[in-house]
Amino acid sequence: MIAFASSLINWSYAWANRGALLHGLLVAVEVSALSLVLSVSVGLLLAVMRMSRPPFTWLAAIYINIFRGVPVIVTALWVYFGVSEVSGLNFSVFVAAVISLTLLYSAFISEIFRSALEAVQRGQREAGLALGMTRPRIFVSVILPQATKIALPNIGSMLIGMVKDTSVMFVIGLTELVATVQNLASVSYEYFTLYTAAAVIYIAVAFTVDFAFRTIEKTMQTPPRGGIARAAKGRRRRHVQAIMDRFDASWQQQGTSAP
Amino acid sequence: MALTRPIADTTLVDQALSTAPSHALGDPVVVVEGLRKSFGAREVLCGIDLCVRAGEHVVIFGPSGSGKSTLLRSINLLEEPTHGSLKVFDVEYGPDGASGVRRGNPLELRRTVGMVFQQFNLFPHLTALENVALPQRAVRRTKRAEAEERAALALRRVGLLRHAAHYPNELSGGQQQRVAIARALSLDPKIMLFDEPTSALDAELVGEVLEVMRELAEAGMTMVVVTHEIGFAREIGDLNVFMDQGVIVESGDRTLFDSCTNPRLQKFVSAVL
Ligand SMILES: Nc1ncnc2c1ncn2[C@@H]1O[C@H](COP(=O)(O)OP(=O)(O)OP(=O)(O)O)[C@@H](O)[C@H]1O
Ligand SMILES: [Mg+2]
Repeated sequence: MIAFASSLINWSYAWANRGALLHGLLVAVEVSALSLVLSVSVGLLLAVMRMSRPPFTWLAAIYINIFRGVPVIVTALWVYFGVSEVSGLNFSVFVAAVISLTLLYSAFISEIFRSALEAVQRGQREAGLALGMTRPRIFVSVILPQATKIALPNIGSMLIGMVKDTSVMFVIGLTELVATVQNLASVSYEYFTLYTAAAVIYIAVAFTVDFAFRTIEKTMQTPPRGGIARAAKGRRRRHVQAIMDRFDASWQQQGTSAP
Repeated sequence: MALTRPIADTTLVDQALSTAPSHALGDPVVVVEGLRKSFGAREVLCGIDLCVRAGEHVVIFGPSGSGKSTLLRSINLLEEPTHGSLKVFDVEYGPDGASGVRRGNPLELRRTVGMVFQQFNLFPHLTALENVALPQRAVRRTKRAEAEERAALALRRVGLLRHAAHYPNELSGGQQQRVAIARALSLDPKIMLFDEPTSALDAELVGEVLEVMRELAEAGMTMVVVTHEIGFAREIGDLNVFMDQGVIVESGDRTLFDSCTNPRLQKFVSAVL
């Protein structure tokens, strides 16, 4: 089966057009990366609004329910043809794609953050308060790091979804991977080869994202696991070791009894 | 009401006449008067009067649900009292202070009152050292290097300097609780609140935490401790307070456990011992 399928693929044709394909991938990755950063920021803001008090709660709830319900293709067309026409701002397709994905994914990511924030134990906030820390500081230094760790795997899935959803942006003329493939195929008719190549590239991206997020998760374990984490925390570990040695020594010099 | 210790200075005489206190007590630092707290329609604290003096060790005990935690958490305003007065170092924090008196800022209150929880509540994403250093950086804006040095000192004080780089999930319950104590102490609180600090611990780990608390008591720290460790209460308790159903039923010095006449207290003490 695989042998049969691979006999139908014109590998040398795909390889000859690797530049165009990789350019399409690069566009898809750029759009996704930018959308991820924006939708994580907006999503976090929405989650905090959703958990605060009215009217913020219901403003966030309305936003979330709208954009979780609209298909990608509708949002893309709405932003690029609708909004840019009405507002007179002429977005580039790139900007329109980023705006569309951010609108949609921030709604999903806010729900991921909300459940992650709620999963952090109540005692954590109380401990911070009892120590005299301000609420914003508790949020930044105590709650958010723990919630991020909980949310991370789901955000990884969101990123994979985003890269796939950039393929819809060919309808507004973004030359991402699918648009590139279509352009090539309209000349060469190598549909099977080109779409197989596109699928392979999407799968490779999914594996890469998965690996990257697993690595980040490992570094957030306590204690951090994996070579990257060890390398990153090595200096820090030596620093703490030095503090321990220094204070251990000064304590022995004082001649107090052993613990 | 009549059973709770009066706030007036006559107590000094009373104390001198009963058993001599283990050490001299200072001026009142926490004065609670007529404190009430309701959750919805349910009143959990029904008028509490309590006075804690500098250097005094107050032990609060009583059955589950009697409001011990709520009282303790009211003292650092983790719970907002519904009625009554709460004065800490002569600053009014309660809702019913004298009219015209400005209520104190809870942030400032919590910077003089440290608290240790039953569930430790260490920050799981930070090492022991960072757990102790973070509040100093956040609350006192201490520079990182200095905060870490102070953290190392605080950890050394509870015998955990060598565990500075460990995360909470790498420490035993007893060690976690000692880190939590070090974390609270590193901010130089004037008063320490302990809410059942050993209740979540395996029996063999209780001793090491009590040992740290005993040292703290001997060093003269003002402490309010909710605990069912009656032996420990006898040892350090200057004032033992028995609570039931939101009121202080009886209180007294360390003779309270032997000479009690109240049937509810007798029943409770014999059940715990
Ligand atoms: N946030 C809250 N909302 C509603 N009810 C509460 C809340 N906190 C405490 N209560 C109730 O107040 C009562 C007293 O609780 P509290 O925790 O002060 O008791 P406790 O004496 O510390 O008991 P325990 O020995 O079990 O810790 C309980 O009946 C409890 O259910
Ligand atoms: Mg309790």
